[in-house]
Amino acid sequence: MVMNLSLIDQGLPGFIVLGLTASAFLLPLIHYLVRRRWVIELYSLLVSGAACTLSWRILGLVRAMGKPLVYSFGGWPPPLGIIYVVDLFSGLLGVVVSSIMFLVIVYSIGYMPGDRRLYLFYTLLLVVEAGMLGCLYTGDFFNLFVMLEVISISSYILVAYYRGDRVAVEASMKYAMYGALATTMYFTAIVFAYGSTGTLNMADLAAKIQGIEFPITNGVFGNLHYGILLFTALMLWAFTFKAALFPNHFWLPDAHAAAPTPVSALLSGLVVKIGVYAIARFIYTIYGVSWINQLSTQIILILGFISAYIGAILMIIQSDLKKFIACSTILNIGYIGVGLGIGTSLGLAASTYHIVNHAISKALLFLSAGLLIKIVGSRNIASLQGLGRRYPVIGIPFAIALLSLAGIPPLNIFMSKFLLYMALIGSNNIPLALILLIPSIISFTAYTRIFYTICIKPPLESNRNIGHSLLNIPSSIPIYLLAITCILLGIGIDYILPLIIMPASNILANTSIYINTVLNYMKMI
Amino acid sequence: MIEYLILYLYTSLFIIFAIAVYGVVVKPNIIKKIIALSIAGDTANTLIIFLGYRLIEYPKPPVLPTLNPSRGEINSFVKEAVDPIPQALVITAIVINLAVVAFLVFLSIQLYKLYGTLDHRKILVRRGVGSEA
Repeated sequence: MVMNLSLIDQGLPGFIVLGLTASAFLLPLIHYLVRRRWVIELYSLLVSGAACTLSWRILGLVRAMGKPLVYSFGGWPPPLGIIYVVDLFSGLLGVVVSSIMFLVIVYSIGYMPGDRRLYLFYTLLLVVEAGMLGCLYTGDFFNLFVMLEVISISSYILVAYYRGDRVAVEASMKYAMYGALATTMYFTAIVFAYGSTGTLNMADLAAKIQGIEFPITNGVFGNLHYGILLFTALMLWAFTFKAALFPNHFWLPDAHAAAPTPVSALLSGLVVKIGVYAIARFIYTIYGVSWINQLSTQIILILGFISAYIGAILMIIQSDLKKFIACSTILNIGYIGVGLGIGTSLGLAASTYHIVNHAISKALLFLSAGLLIKIVGSRNIASLQGLGRRYPVIGIPFAIALLSLAGIPPLNIFMSKFLLYMALIGSNNIPLALILLIPSIISFTAYTRIFYTICIKPPLESNRNIGHSLLNIPSSIPIYLLAITCILLGIGIDYILPLIIMPASNILANTSIYINTVLNYMKMI
Repeated sequence: MIEYLILYLYTSLFIIFAIAVYGVVVKPNIIKKIIALSIAGDTANTLIIFLGYRLIEYPKPPVLPTLNPSRGEINSFVKEAVDPIPQALVITAIVINLAVVAFLVFLSIQLYKLYGTLDHRKILVRRGVGSEA
């Protein structure tokens, strides 16, 4: 299926990122001209809505073309200029990111208290979205570093948004300090990759590792094995930090719990997935089938197992609801890591499906929990007792999110966990599947405890007399949309899996299509 | 002689990087952590600048002086000119480091306002986690 794209469609991946960044930084200017809260909210709603529509359009184009969409900035041919390459995998994640981001902004309109600095909150949300889409669409690993820093700096600031909150500022300091060290590590990794291959382009790097001829850049300098080994070590250090995989998970519970609720949903649902995406992109698309791919999948597999255990154990001991939800992110990132580490196509599909499902369920859980916490004014699980029963409008989506994450059959996370176990058994790793069952059981008890306390027990005396005045419509709409998506993704697995998940995970592991698309694009210009 | 100098430079850069990482992780004072972090960033920048340098007597700046160069001119130019890409990368990295360090310094002022100290151990104690050791 060869299709000629119009000039506008070709430029979409570049336009969406640059347009988002530009409109994000226009927001403070608008705030100085028109000091109205609704103007800021309407503006950010329109911008993120437009980004959402465009990212769906990009996914549609990539699906219709049947090959990745390439865009080069300024018309420079690939190894010289920066290119954006959107394949089905990054297109799918781009759709997930921009849609959840849109819902988070709708939620913030009802949730965030109106104060003087609100325009900065929306500016930063739009910048994070631009950074995430840039990370997903880019085909240049130095541009990935820049976009990673865009995400990182704005999420450090968002964690410390309540700057009078002692815990939030301390959590943001820990996140920012080690996050900056991690991105410096990635920059050093780029130094080694550039030093040994002489390129910054992902397709070119993949071609060098596979031994395929690529025009313009010279051959390899020195011993490629050492350069790539150093690159992999430092790169994995940086991205396991961003993804909160085992040795670098320590910052996550504090930072995700201390942030304002919409930001927690954003960080836990989407920002950690960027780290996972980068790991998947490097070890599958770029390394292809090679010794370094074997090595790094083994590492990710082991780290995934340890993460799952640590997340599950941390979950039982939490008494703070938001920390509990944050720890469940460590558990689920562990599952995704295991899926990436298996290395079979079913394992990759399970991982891809789990990335999508976890983003939706975790955003839903954080957003609905945020409304419950706002009613009581406390994050303590004991003081939230019976609130789900008292306010079924919030309680039902909250229960759906909890049950989905616990892995109750018709809901979405059950399906992706099931695929993961199928993949482990299918690659003759039945003992590993049994080992992975244990954190699932531990976390199941933790989820049931929360479900029983908040949704089944009778409400506390002190909570009986709170009115419904705190319930608001803008915050409830995204929660219900996410809850419906949770159920649909679970029930419709037979339809969704062959429609988008399998093609997306297959294209991820297909190095030759990636390289050839970029080579053909070079011949075209 | 020059080989020893190169080895010396590489070794010292690696040692400085290791010390900087040690400083970020181990030093209790937030300001010292920030200093160690910027040293780590600068070491990475120096490393990539050094990669782009040509080990010849008079390397040229990466600007081609002729308008329509022949193939031979380009070849000799490529052998003598300094690689411009590392410099472009370093400019970007310096700007990003500036933003990060500025943010961290602001955050440490805020921490000092809230906790009255910049010692990480005391902050943990005053937050209610960890114990006085």
